Amino acid sequence: MMKLDAIHIEEMRGIRKLDIDFQQGTFAISGPNGSGKSGVIDAIEFGLTGQIGRLTGKGTKGLSVQEHGPHVDKTKFPDAAFVELKLTLPALKKSVTIKRKVSDPKKPTITPADADVKAALAEVSDHPEIALSRREILRFILVEPAKRSEEIQSLLKLDEIGETRSALNTAQNRLQATERTAVAQVTSTREALQRHLQIATIRPEDLLEAVNTRRTLLGLPSITDLTADTKLDEGLTATATGSDFNKESALRDIKALFNAAKDFPELLKVEATAIVAGLEKLEGDPALLSALQRRAFIEKGLSFVDGPDCPLCDKPWEDEDHLRAHLQEKLAKSAEAKKLQDALIENASKIAASAIRVAGLLTPVQKLAQTHGEVEGAQLLAAWKADLDSFRSKLQTVDDIAGQKDRLASSWLAVPDKFSVALNTVREKIEAKPDQSATLAAQTFLTTAQIRLADFREALRKNKSAKIAAVAGKAAHDVYSEVMEEELNALYEEVQKDFSTFYKAINEDDEKTFTAKIKPTGAGVTFDVNFYDRGLFPPAAFHSEGHQDGMGVCLYLALMKQLFGKDFTFALLDDVVMSVDSGHRYQFCKLLKQYFKDTQFIITTHDRLWAEQMKSAGLITGKRSLVFHSWSIDGGPIVESNEGIWQEISAALGKNNVEAAAAALRHHLEYAARHLAGELVASVPFRSDGNYELGDLLPPVVSRMKKLLGSAAEAAQSWGNKEAKETATRRKEELSAAAVASNVEQWAVNKLVHYNEWANFGKKDFEPVVTAFKDLLACFRCDKCDSWLYITPRTNPELLICSCKGVGVNLKPKAK
Amino acid sequence: MATLQKQIADKFFEKLAHSKEVDTAQVDELKALFSNDKKVKADDLVKIFSHPTGGGGLK
Repeated sequence: MMKLDAIHIEEMRGIRKLDIDFQQGTFAISGPNGSGKSGVIDAIEFGLTGQIGRLTGKGTKGLSVQEHGPHVDKTKFPDAAFVELKLTLPALKKSVTIKRKVSDPKKPTITPADADVKAALAEVSDHPEIALSRREILRFILVEPAKRSEEIQSLLKLDEIGETRSALNTAQNRLQATERTAVAQVTSTREALQRHLQIATIRPEDLLEAVNTRRTLLGLPSITDLTADTKLDEGLTATATGSDFNKESALRDIKALFNAAKDFPELLKVEATAIVAGLEKLEGDPALLSALQRRAFIEKGLSFVDGPDCPLCDKPWEDEDHLRAHLQEKLAKSAEAKKLQDALIENASKIAASAIRVAGLLTPVQKLAQTHGEVEGAQLLAAWKADLDSFRSKLQTVDDIAGQKDRLASSWLAVPDKFSVALNTVREKIEAKPDQSATLAAQTFLTTAQIRLADFREALRKNKSAKIAAVAGKAAHDVYSEVMEEELNALYEEVQKDFSTFYKAINEDDEKTFTAKIKPTGAGVTFDVNFYDRGLFPPAAFHSEGHQDGMGVCLYLALMKQLFGKDFTFALLDDVVMSVDSGHRYQFCKLLKQYFKDTQFIITTHDRLWAEQMKSAGLITGKRSLVFHSWSIDGGPIVESNEGIWQEISAALGKNNVEAAAAALRHHLEYAARHLAGELVASVPFRSDGNYELGDLLPPVVSRMKKLLGSAAEAAQSWGNKEAKETATRRKEELSAAAVASNVEQWAVNKLVHYNEWANFGKKDFEPVVTAFKDLLACFRCDKCDSWLYITPRTNPELLICSCKGVGVNLKPKAK
Repeated sequence: MATLQKQIADKFFEKLAHSKEVDTAQVDELKALFSNDKKVKADDLVKIFSHPTGGGGLK
């Protein structure tokens, strides 16, 4: 995927202007609540994806990136709010800059604008799940199976797979409907052929016997074998094949229609009545109809419930539980509606097949009317046949069926008023015709037989095609479903395995035998965890909130591993283990180091101790961490180690607020002392609770620096480097003077100068204290880059340096 | 990136290639349809499966 090098943020969220150098490594940003940490996460997420997770999704109604992405003072100037990221795409071995403005989030400026770079960034932007906040991890843990399934499917982008299966299912259903129509056509054409040939079955020998009787009469050779190319009227002269009117056959067609007509009033009345009853049930229960039409809509809406306001219609409810119950009730109704839908379509299919059969009976009679001058009757029958064809084509979906309700309620066949008259007229006309000679009867018998055999064959061919298509559609759907199920099961097994491994890594002290079971079941995903070998239970059943947080992160990591594999190179973890105790957080650091060596995590935490633990665990370094001291609406985050703290103190003193100035100074000194104690490897008396106070840290830090500068002077002396010796000596003298001015070395013996008393000082008394500590801390920084000095290596140090190498004090004496 | 979608599609076509119900030409057309970036639609699937096949008559 990618690694993040650096970010420049302007006027985004709570940040006015900020630059951070991530150095492509795991990076921690710590600071108290409200200090602007998450603003950095938002900015990175926005830069990469154009989205801000906290402004989209559940519970964010009314929020938008456009309106709420910019700093609150720049909401009317979204053009001023932007993020510029420098990142590396390892797979392409390219360094890239991406600049994205809130005013046009979908059109970032990418440099270089190479096609492969754009494609890689487009893929990154398609994965907002790289950002994880605490409230998001709980969505995997504290939810019912169906919701968890949705969350996991969404994270792993399984929606597309489900949509593909759905398309295959729809195709399968349509192909089956086509096959049903084709089967009905076969029945209709076969009946017409059998009626003409007067045979009880459609066996070839019966067919040939009927045909050969007429062929023998006409002196034509008998057909011995019925093949696909066989023409029953083969051998007839062109004149003889000119007419297919066979009086006896015509009368049988008319009679068949007469006989069928006797049943017209009751034809499939039970099925039609059932359909009408079903439709009336839907009409009488609008919620049922609505639920059917909006089933998918409601399922989606339910997943967005986050509070008492309905996400579908904005209606406020008494509470979230009532709203959920209401939507669940709608879903239950839609399940009932689905059952009703299946019954409606089944009955409608029977009626459609019957309509095809009636149309099949009308066809020859209509043709007789046409050819025998009964224009009005022919038109009537043709119009009815067309009407039946149209009607049966509108019986495929519930909506279409509902549109035919009135017709189904009265007489779905819609027999024309003048049908009987027309049919009688045609019959009388045909009956009045002189009987055909035996020769002519035989000739027309063969001609008609050939036409009807051809119709039957065509219907069979279509039916075979439809059947093959339906079988193919079903096979494709079944295979896809089977593969999908296999793969998902395998995926969940892998996730389950990784999750258990990760969780055990965090809790190896007390849950060595931990196991978990993650299994897709129907529409949901069940998730049970072992609780001290007492059995499998839902995560929230017995485990503490801290353990649940740990589970959430571990499940997230397991899912991301599945989603990206080796490409999982970047993730944003926004205060995600806040409920995990310090011991387990240390283990979490080890987990990230051991299992995600190639992944760059940007981690925020409000817990300074954890930030320190990340350092001591080797997950981050001093240079790959940042501490936000506090935040102001005008200035944004105040980053400890920059000049902002002195401005803040000065501002507080300007308002004669010594208490605030004292608190800020103490806070900053605590940070600086803690940082320097680590960077200079000062001898600080160990505290098991890690709660070091300023008095525990700063004096040893000053002492350590004095010692280091003394070593530097001695080393310079050994090398005969006079200038370096003078510099080291001067630095040490400045440090000593600053230490005296600040009274830091007197804290242990003189309570009156102790920092606990600062809040009681007057402005005039406190100003010199501020100056003294500013001067003192300046002894630990580089004038050029303003970074803190540090030693390297940490044991037997050889150099005291800064980030820009502007300060580079040699500590190693010349070998004797 | 080897996505789950691609894994499923690959195995789907592998199994479908051995299926008697779906012919080779249809499998090829399905591959082309699935390799398209667009969503798979039922209409396109119906067209692929509905290729006319010969025969079927009474002998």
